[in-house]
Amino acid sequence: MSEFSHPHDHAQQDRHDSQDEINHGGIGKYLVVFVALCLLTMCSFVTYFDFWRHHVPYEVSRALMMAVSCTKAMLVIMFFMHLLWEANWKWVLTIPATFMSIFLMLMLVPDIGWRKDNGYARYSDDRLRYAADPPSVEAAEVEAAEHELSHDPTH
Amino acid sequence: MFAYQPALPIPNGKTCMWLFLSTEIMFFAGLIGTYIVLRFGSIAWPAPHDVHLSEPIGAFNTFVLICSSVTVVLALEAAKFNHTAKAKGYILLTFLLGSVFLGVKAYEYQQKFAHGIYPMKPHGLVYDKADVHYAAAVRKRLGELSTRITAAGAELTPDDQARMKVLDVLSKLVDDAEFAIRNNPDAPEEGRIKLMELAYLIYPPHDHNTVAHAAEAGAVPEGPAMQLVAFQQQKDAEESHDGGHAQGYNDKYPWLRLPIMIPGGPLWASTYFLLTGFHALHVLIGIIVFGLLLCVTIDRTRANFVENIGLYWHFVDLVWIFLFPLLYLF
Repeated sequence: MSEFSHPHDHAQQDRHDSQDEINHGGIGKYLVVFVALCLLTMCSFVTYFDFWRHHVPYEVSRALMMAVSCTKAMLVIMFFMHLLWEANWKWVLTIPATFMSIFLMLMLVPDIGWRKDNGYARYSDDRLRYAADPPSVEAAEVEAAEHELSHDPTH
Repeated sequence: MFAYQPALPIPNGKTCMWLFLSTEIMFFAGLIGTYIVLRFGSIAWPAPHDVHLSEPIGAFNTFVLICSSVTVVLALEAAKFNHTAKAKGYILLTFLLGSVFLGVKAYEYQQKFAHGIYPMKPHGLVYDKADVHYAAAVRKRLGELSTRITAAGAELTPDDQARMKVLDVLSKLVDDAEFAIRNNPDAPEEGRIKLMELAYLIYPPHDHNTVAHAAEAGAVPEGPAMQLVAFQQQKDAEESHDGGHAQGYNDKYPWLRLPIMIPGGPLWASTYFLLTGFHALHVLIGIIVFGLLLCVTIDRTRANFVENIGLYWHFVDLVWIFLFPLLYLF
């Protein structure tokens, strides 16, 4: 029989390999990851204190917090969820989901995230009603007219 | 030549769990993404203390979830080596830590509910701005309270008389504001300032930034007069500072429960309760499964199941890793 006729053998082998690897090293690595997660949480939490807020711009704090969150997420995924030791099947499930989630967020940006920069004329009705500073009708009409003009093929 | 692979080289249960988690990644990515664009597309957003959000409590809950992630991974290790008692002990710890997380979350929700911050009506008291609709809502509530007190009987108790005095003071303020708006339709600034004063008396903002942001966002009418009023209100509120919260009428007289003005508050409440609510639901489901797991022997044969529920639990932790800074610290 050819070597390709026993996919289960390979699967079994993969499983044994990963099992051995997981057992190798004991629980020490999990405790190290735990300490790292705690320290990283402290790094995020430090932005709460006044001395930090007075000395560091909030954009830097936010970038730091997101970097810390991504690092923590990678630690959890790789060690606690064992993806570090899994075979290549992991990419089949994780990459499409990651892409889909990135697209999901990007698709929301033009609808909601850019509304502020688009000017008041393109606010939704609800948003207009509850906006802290409602736009004037004139401004909305001017912008709508400009928008129409720029899309008029005769001009 | 490629070999036919009938399945992924992992148990079917684990495949299913990963497939489920990949849909969950998209689910929470959609929710968090929506929160981010709403948060940064919004012209006003409340400071954490304005909506009774405590950062240290959030950090504590983060620590609790990290601990529970470690205990579940240790339970899996113990189950693999057939250490049943140890495995059960770790699962019990995970169960308890998950319960602590939910308990703290319930306490946090209660703090908000106590101040009338709900995601929707009829319980929600939050208004985005102090406009005529806000004035009407305050008037309606004052009317309800007044009717309730006077309906009890002709003879008012001293307590009721004191309450009626408070209601009279507030009714006068609403009257003044509405009178100013009605009589000066071409220059409504005076009326808006009075409404702002009223709103800040009922529920003062808890830090200077809030007033500054409200002014930038247009919740406070433009002009130096209003800015001065806003900061004066802020100063008064700070003088009666108590336990980190500025005291307004709603704090001094909890029976009032008047509508409150928090710029960006309604949107904040919707997103906060939706995100944390779905996360708490996931935690609850995890706790139920851990509870069921406690009823059986956790030996080597159950290791795969422990691994699967562990994957789920780590994912719940993962979501909180992003929710904590986004909701509490941003």
